[in-house]
Amino acid sequence: MASTKNQKAMYDQVVSILDTLQGNTIPSYQGLYAFWQNPEVFLNASLYGQRLIAPQDGLTTQTTASGCCGSSAPATHAPDKTMSPVKTEGCCGSQETATAPIDSQPKLTSSANLAAPKVTTDCWPSGGSSGGGGAFPTVKRSDQSGIIIGLKGQYPFDGSMFPKLLWDTTNEATAEQIQFIANWIDSGCPLTLEEEQTNKLQMVSTAKVSNLVALARGEMLHAQAQAPTNESKASVNGLTVRKEVSSLTAEELETFREAINCMNQYNDYWQDDRSFDYWARIHTNSCQHGWEQFLPWHRLYLYFFEQKLQDYNPNISLPYWSWTDYADVNTNTFNNSQFDLGVIPDAYGCFLTAKGFEKLSTMKAADGSLLFSPKETTALASLTKKGTIFNSGLRFLKAAGIDYEIINQNNVAIWSPKINALYTVLKEVNPLWFPNRWPGSLNGTAAISQYPTKDDIALILDINNFADMGGGSAYDHYFGALEKVHNGMHNFSGGTNPNYPDNNKDWVKIYQKLNLTPDPQNLDNPIYGWMTDNRTTAFDPLFWGHHSNVDRIWAKWQEQHTGTPLEMDAVMAPWTLTVKEAMSIQKLGYTYMRDSVFYPVSNAVGLTQFKAAPAQVSQTTLQAHRKAEIVLHRVQMGNLQNASIRVFLNTPDASVDTPITDNPNFVEAFSTFNGSCFGGPGHCNLPLPNTRTFDRRPLHNHEPRNYKIDATDAVQRVLNNGAKNITVQLVIVGLNGKPVENAVFIEGVSLNFMD
Amino acid sequence: MSKSYTTFKIHPSIGIARLGNSDQFYIAPEQPGTLPIACDTSGKEKQDANGNPVRVSSFKDDNDLSKIKKQAARFRVFAYADEGDSEGKEIQVGGKYNFIYQTAVTAPRIVEGTVTDIDWTVHLANKKASWYEFQETNGQHGYAPDHPLRNPEVTQPDLRRQLIIDPGPVTVNLKNNQGAFAKFGSESKRNDNSKNKKVAYPQTFPPADIKPNSIETLGSVLVNEQDKNIRLLVLGGNGNSGSTKTPVIDNFVNNDGWFDDISDGPVTAKIEYTFINISYDGDKEIKTKTKATMEVQVPAWVVVGYPRYAPELEDMITMDETMYDIFVRNMAYEPRLFGVPPFTIENNSPTTQEELDLWKNAARFNPDYYPKFYRDIWPILRRPYEQTTFTMVFDPSDGGDPHNRGTGGNLSQAALSQPPQNGEDPNFKLRQFVLGIMRKSSQTNAYTVEGNAKSANKPRLMPMLCGNNPLTNVSPDKFLAMRPTQLFFLRQWAAGKFVNECQEWEEGNPNCSNPWALPPTTGIGIDRGVLGNAVGGAFCPGAEMTWIMKNPAIYSEPYRIKHATYVPGALSIPKPIADKDGSTAPNLKAGLEPGDLTKYIGVPWQADFHECTDQNVDVTYENWNTIYPDSTGDPVQQQIAYNIPWWPAHRPMVVFESLNGPQVYWASGIPDNNAGDLQMVEAWKDLGFIVSSGEGNNKQFYQVERNNEALGEPVQPGNRILGLGDTRSKSKK
Repeated sequence: MASTKNQKAMYDQVVSILDTLQGNTIPSYQGLYAFWQNPEVFLNASLYGQRLIAPQDGLTTQTTASGCCGSSAPATHAPDKTMSPVKTEGCCGSQETATAPIDSQPKLTSSANLAAPKVTTDCWPSGGSSGGGGAFPTVKRSDQSGIIIGLKGQYPFDGSMFPKLLWDTTNEATAEQIQFIANWIDSGCPLTLEEEQTNKLQMVSTAKVSNLVALARGEMLHAQAQAPTNESKASVNGLTVRKEVSSLTAEELETFREAINCMNQYNDYWQDDRSFDYWARIHTNSCQHGWEQFLPWHRLYLYFFEQKLQDYNPNISLPYWSWTDYADVNTNTFNNSQFDLGVIPDAYGCFLTAKGFEKLSTMKAADGSLLFSPKETTALASLTKKGTIFNSGLRFLKAAGIDYEIINQNNVAIWSPKINALYTVLKEVNPLWFPNRWPGSLNGTAAISQYPTKDDIALILDINNFADMGGGSAYDHYFGALEKVHNGMHNFSGGTNPNYPDNNKDWVKIYQKLNLTPDPQNLDNPIYGWMTDNRTTAFDPLFWGHHSNVDRIWAKWQEQHTGTPLEMDAVMAPWTLTVKEAMSIQKLGYTYMRDSVFYPVSNAVGLTQFKAAPAQVSQTTLQAHRKAEIVLHRVQMGNLQNASIRVFLNTPDASVDTPITDNPNFVEAFSTFNGSCFGGPGHCNLPLPNTRTFDRRPLHNHEPRNYKIDATDAVQRVLNNGAKNITVQLVIVGLNGKPVENAVFIEGVSLNFMD
Repeated sequence: MSKSYTTFKIHPSIGIARLGNSDQFYIAPEQPGTLPIACDTSGKEKQDANGNPVRVSSFKDDNDLSKIKKQAARFRVFAYADEGDSEGKEIQVGGKYNFIYQTAVTAPRIVEGTVTDIDWTVHLANKKASWYEFQETNGQHGYAPDHPLRNPEVTQPDLRRQLIIDPGPVTVNLKNNQGAFAKFGSESKRNDNSKNKKVAYPQTFPPADIKPNSIETLGSVLVNEQDKNIRLLVLGGNGNSGSTKTPVIDNFVNNDGWFDDISDGPVTAKIEYTFINISYDGDKEIKTKTKATMEVQVPAWVVVGYPRYAPELEDMITMDETMYDIFVRNMAYEPRLFGVPPFTIENNSPTTQEELDLWKNAARFNPDYYPKFYRDIWPILRRPYEQTTFTMVFDPSDGGDPHNRGTGGNLSQAALSQPPQNGEDPNFKLRQFVLGIMRKSSQTNAYTVEGNAKSANKPRLMPMLCGNNPLTNVSPDKFLAMRPTQLFFLRQWAAGKFVNECQEWEEGNPNCSNPWALPPTTGIGIDRGVLGNAVGGAFCPGAEMTWIMKNPAIYSEPYRIKHATYVPGALSIPKPIADKDGSTAPNLKAGLEPGDLTKYIGVPWQADFHECTDQNVDVTYENWNTIYPDSTGDPVQQQIAYNIPWWPAHRPMVVFESLNGPQVYWASGIPDNNAGDLQMVEAWKDLGFIVSSGEGNNKQFYQVERNNEALGEPVQPGNRILGLGDTRSKSKK
């Protein structure tokens, strides 16, 4: 663009502001001198303990010059030691020596021989250097940045410890100049115009003020929120949504993977509940199966794991793996005498990215030669380029033309260095993938295996008592129908290792040649996948999607039936909650949806019409969903005229004149029922958000309420009429049948699809 | 619109005057380690072309080396516009301020008035002879009923009160501008034209025939106007000390029958102003020019000390530093430095006693505080080298001075002033070493650093100066430690948390080594600067003031002594005697009276002054100063720390006779024994003063104006002459 040619990047303007303020005399600034001129220094350095620009994640970290714990640190840093802006572990208080195996099965850890990435940096967010906490600070980054605090003359730059910045000059920054620098920091400290543009795109607000009126009158379309579903839901105080795994946006899936990757970094710390394996071992040690606590125990297991993930990022929820979506493709893969043919959701698959490829292509073997032959490297490059996702690591190896190899190490079978290196990288690329997973049939069970279909699930949902569906009580215990299906899916997910002697005659010879005795429980090359064994299953990340689905089916059953386990007051170790407390997913704060679309609406302007842009959901969702609902979020009730709200689908020109009878696109009309104000000034203002831990008062009178409209039939009608997508329209009508302007104030509309 | 009234404060909060036997005087310095300020005969400050004060160059009368000029304590009134005003501005004749106007029949209201004059009232007294004996730390927290009194035979309350020298208060202003704290009818009272010169007051003075010198005055006051500022000057006594008996001195601090003319007391002021009073007669507005007065809300105190013979030499711990430490740790004076996290002012403003108690329980030093090198650190490291010149503790032929501030020295200014830069901290170990040898608060009875090293020459803990009690077995406190706040500064500094002001804020000044060199202009700056010239420890008993200054109870607010109300002629006397007739006993809670700060100090002051050179400290046992192994045949080998100095900056021992001249004993001619103490009662006025030449680390100190006619030629160390014996004082106090 021509206009940007003469434009100066924000950073350059920041430098120029500070240069001008400082003038010719530049004081030491603790040896940094004109620190703003070097972005590397500006972004990372501290001035007398005050970080000039707060780190992005809001952590208050400091680069300390001396060693830790008052040790007489070496006066100079070793030249090869890079200065990390984040505290490094391994000084006093280090846990490195505290990894004594306390657990009952200390040897058991996921991918035992994968070179687990050592924790060099602390990837987990925290509320500060001491104490727990996982909440993100909501203060602006600029407010925590020493340069802004200093220019404003706030403590410690208020003269009590240091004078206002800049030093040794009589020039003082104007409010505008400070604001400009703050804006630059809050927009992510872009150094170039290009970076500014990228950052700006992420910051486009839902509606500019000038557009609010047009939006509220239906003259503009309300755009679908691009934020993660759970961020949107949280903005209207909604339940967390566990979505079907294929409905996760790229961003949501990436965040989930980052979280698991981060958790994997703590796997060396046995007692650290940020470690992924810590959670896996809970299943190993405490899981409940074969009786009525199967469902409630796993519900809590998922709940607490999900809470931990939400410490990392509050928008994360556990996606579910809707087995029956894959029933058609899997009818022949499960009851088959061939192994490793099953199909699972792509999210859990095996693939290589450019970054991963780069790592692999330069890896060296012990003798210094390249680990992968030119042919293999070319194949890997090609797989990377295509982006093919494989249902198992073994299938990836085949496609890459790389032989699966094991070696003998102290009479134990382990992956060859090449396989180990490859698997390590693949697991970093997709931490949801797991090496010892061969989805498909189990050796010897071909005749009796059956992949569950929609009908099978429908039968389970029809069972009218809890015990038959969910398991018998301790007095008369037996597997419930849902658990039995769940068992089969465990076996399908783990599958059979095609390269184990019992399963493959070639491998009997290979073992003999390697002088190895087959060990069905060998960590790298077991007889079956880890999902098939309740001791090891939760080490496979697929476990969580699988069980999320079990929990969803139970929740759905609960919507239709009233049965409960017999012993409701039993406490389920290791949790401190009872069976009763696991009965409602609402109380645990979440719900299940195949997908959900959210349209933010400004509550600053009264709504007369609402017109939505088409909902971006997959065709699968449109076809496979069981129920569709439209929710009006946070509809205000205080001192407003009553009105009628008419809901339409796919009627872009909806108005008060649009017929509401014999109109297949009409969904529902309902009236609001508001109260007038009787209190003092401000009585009808919105109540404060309930943020206090011990505020147990019920819903406030004026708390805006939600309206839920069942749109299942209407959605079906418009789809049957050939619609390829769904749009929602609202028309607000006064009780006199005429448009009314100041009767309806809402904060969002969502269109939800449930399985 | 609500107007707020002006708050008036007298500065300095505690002024320091000094004795002199001359009628001439100069003004007390208002910064630590600076020469006094020169003035004309009416006390008006002399200024150079830049408006900075001219410093004195002579401390004695022009033609008489036996006449020491007095040092006047100068006071001014500052106005503070509102609560946010922390600096204040000196008030002027003709200046307009918001006064609270109140008469017997009207409610108080705020009027804008014009200053016409200030009525200054000062009340000096000397309570030394009426007070308890000084017994080191004993008494610091109250006196036992049997704690001996000075002049113990005087047990009748009225007679006891006669031991107080109490000339009564004197009020002066621009019109009545001279007053004297002298006996009615005496020569010293002759020039008194003060407002209340004729008001009878039940004065008490020592008998006229005390020997060798009688006391008929404690000093005088005068008021002048300079650049429209109305200022008060308080002058102390003439240095006269005498005994009612045949004068002998047998104790460094308690000598019955003796009096001296040291004193202290409150300084208050009333501002005279006029304003236009508007009243109404029906609708008719009547304007009347009305005269009124308003009491200055925050009054001050004055303390008279003995001459400061080495004014440019700072004490190892100044009174300002001692008091600052008390206020920081006890009165929420600087929450950013010491307080309750997050160390904000709001979080650290206790207003009631309960809140203060809670605050004290929770408050601590702010681990993120960055002290400033030249303000907070360097004085601690700079002073020792200057003082070693005066003590001869370190013989240059004996391996050099461990306090060397030059490059490569233990206290290298270049190295120690460098904070870590860009992750580089080459001086970390040196700073840690210096911190390591600084005596911690818990080590006041330890001589050397702790450690398992068998070496007989373990590093001595610093400062290597006497503590509050290296003498007796009641609460021993052998050695001096820097104040806790100073030690905290040093800890932060050693860890690399400090700022070098010169590098950050004085880049334009290539010779920057003391960014705090300019005379203070703020009220608090003057308060602290003045106190920076008084000894802040050790207190055994001290020079101007003693350990009572470490008791937060005596302050109404930081740096301000609480004023008691008292009955004229009935100042308080020790409780056991006061209880006999129900008269006033000391009550710190209610405040202090005239004479209450100096009453602890030795009488006559010359005795303690003469003996406060150095001390052999028994370090055999930490908890014992005095042991008697002979009495039980205990074969213990006593360990003595020899020649530990007291406060070399106040009582020099060895000086350079002239610039580049030889070293000589400062008090040559006055023997180190009780006879010498007695001789000092007269000889103090003949001693030389120490001045400096050069700047920064090249500063050299040398003696001027010694009266060799009276004291004889000074003696060089190593030389012995008749009657002098070993001139190094080792007498047990």
